[in-house]
Amino acid sequence: MTESPLGTPVVNDISSGPNPLAALALGWLIPGAGHVYAGQWRKGVFFFVMVMALLAIGTYLGSGTVFQPSPWFFPQFFAGGPMLALVPVSIHLAHAPGGIDWADRLHETGILYTAVAGFMNALIMMDVFLRLTLPTHPAKTTEERAA
Amino acid sequence: MWTMVATFFGHLVAASNPLWWYYPLCAIVALVYKATKHDSPLKILTSAIHFFVVVTLGMFALALALYLIQVIF
Repeated sequence: MTESPLGTPVVNDISSGPNPLAALALGWLIPGAGHVYAGQWRKGVFFFVMVMALLAIGTYLGSGTVFQPSPWFFPQFFAGGPMLALVPVSIHLAHAPGGIDWADRLHETGILYTAVAGFMNALIMMDVFLRLTLPTHPAKTTEERAA
Repeated sequence: MWTMVATFFGHLVAASNPLWWYYPLCAIVALVYKATKHDSPLKILTSAIHFFVVVTLGMFALALALYLIQVIF
């Protein structure tokens, strides 16, 4: 643990534990993998299930065509690896006969679900990064903070 | 006035309204958000329920306020 000029601990010694940047990258690639890498496997599995549930419901509601070049793709991008796998499928289905009904309210809801999945994964990534870098993370126990 | 409000809420909770898809979305968001703030499963569950109720009631209140503004003006 390093110290600030005022003598208060600010950053964990990242050379001895899991690398926060690696946790961040893993968390983007596979939702929840950052937490598993950081040693919180139960929380990692929970986050994986939650983000995948959002993506699955969103893809179902949008008939598989929710990942399109639109402003919604910015939040969807943070859903990481699963998003990368679904983009080609989405573009392929959009060019199939019937295409996309942009006025369909369920399609809009599907886009919203997948965008929220991206936002949630961004939050999860930030959480694991801050857990590994900030010794005073609010969710840490007194023992974890003292370690 | 009360009949109008009741009709409005009737439309809001009608089976044909896609708003029903809001509830699982809000529940998942509440669980994920609270799981990043707490480590105890019980604390996560109770605070997620609190989040869900407060946000849902707040959105109902906002919807009602917007509806009444639209009707009055």
